[in-house]
Amino acid sequence: MSYSCTSRGNSQDPSSAKEPAADNPARDAGGDADSGGRDGPRRTAAMRVKKGCNSTDVGVPMTTEEDLLASAVVSPEDVLGLQRITQDYLCSPDENIYKIDFTRFKIRDIETSTVLFEITKPPTDKSGEKRDIDPNAGRFVRYQFTPAFLRLRQVGATVEFTVGDLPIENFRMIERHYFREKLLKSFDFEFGFCMPSSKNTCEHIYEFPPLSEDVIREMILHPYETQSDSFYFVDNKLVMHNKADYSYNGGT
Amino acid sequence: MGGLIKVEHRIIRNKQVISVKMEMDISGVSRTRVSICPAAEIKNTLKPEAERPRCASTPCSPIRGTVAGYQILHMDSNYLVGFTTGEELLKLAHQWSEVPPEKGSVSEAVTSPTKSSALQAGDLGVHRSARLFKGKSRYFQPYDIPAANGRRRRRMPSSSDTFLRSLAHGEPGRSLRAPLPLCLLKGTGAQSKSLDYLNLDRISIKESSDTEVLQVQLQHLTLRGERVFTRNKT
Repeated sequence: MSYSCTSRGNSQDPSSAKEPAADNPARDAGGDADSGGRDGPRRTAAMRVKKGCNSTDVGVPMTTEEDLLASAVVSPEDVLGLQRITQDYLCSPDENIYKIDFTRFKIRDIETSTVLFEITKPPTDKSGEKRDIDPNAGRFVRYQFTPAFLRLRQVGATVEFTVGDLPIENFRMIERHYFREKLLKSFDFEFGFCMPSSKNTCEHIYEFPPLSEDVIREMILHPYETQSDSFYFVDNKLVMHNKADYSYNGGT
Repeated sequence: MGGLIKVEHRIIRNKQVISVKMEMDISGVSRTRVSICPAAEIKNTLKPEAERPRCASTPCSPIRGTVAGYQILHMDSNYLVGFTTGEELLKLAHQWSEVPPEKGSVSEAVTSPTKSSALQAGDLGVHRSARLFKGKSRYFQPYDIPAANGRRRRRMPSSSDTFLRSLAHGEPGRSLRAPLPLCLLKGTGAQSKSLDYLNLDRISIKESSDTEVLQVQLQHLTLRGERVFTRNKT
């Protein structure tokens, strides 16, 4: 069994608290593709959609990566106080005790419904689980966009994920995008409750922040200096941390 | 603030899929009756989208391939020309440290993450690379949003056109040779359990940001890791 949803969560760029348009359906948002795969029947989840809160970074205490690495538990408020991309992961892969596994990811231009990218991960067999790879390697992805991508206004990201045998209460994702040491935008979305052993699909709407021509030029000129941290929380505790970086020069 | 949420539940019972669709407002109050569709009417959105027919005026065809266990089903090269994972980057870094790059091979390597499976699938690789090279000229006019459904989006004015054309003469392979992210090169206290054998904490990443130095260090790290895994397997 599975459930799917589309929702528009809460997102803020540093300059203003941008609220979703009133006449659009509320939608959640999602993050990067990740590794994993499951077999077997899945159960439905009686989804409870919660409107994203309107909290902003304003008033949230500033935090540093060093502080959070020393902390036993990292909360959503902790990462909302980060002022720059982290150099390290704030949790280990082992802390994903809920076995959340992203199996499909798709992004599309909302205005034209053009699918820009779609990727899936076939279920891995037992022999493939113990691969001799850096455990962090599966938590990082790199995108090579063209400059045209920066002209899009809304991008929908559809995420399919499976969960393990434990029920997931209050599944939440906070994704923060930076260019160099400048926060471009922070996205905050709640998946809500996820039933154990379920497969779930959710589309997230990313509203691109307004970017000046100068910033766009710099982002194109300096590939992979645009980076993002995707933090995933269950019951307000960090369980997953994915990273990505981006270029916008079309691979030139 | 009002808002509408569309929810679809899929229930698998006795090997039959039943779709339950409902609409509710933000507060969770159901606005419409729940509709239940039998399995025969289910539109399986989990299946890859059918490829749209292409014509001469259609933008570049989607790029397909596999990257580190992922299968790329669709990639619109008007917006995205490359995708790779940390695993692939580490492999490439290891290869670069062993073999000096040849002139002209840089462009091939840029597309290698998505190109490899194309070569396996047939002779589409060369064709695909050619399409990418052909598509490059489009990137000098980045603000021309490709047509969709017969409508071309109005171009947003920009004063950067001249600058962007200079990308054509930019440093080739610059993105290819971009330094690996630090998160792939260093471990942390949170995950030292799995990376202790690499002795990452003894390597000062901050000493130099030079790409070649980092890649040489990575090579040593990788070789050290390979020895450990070899030992564990015996």
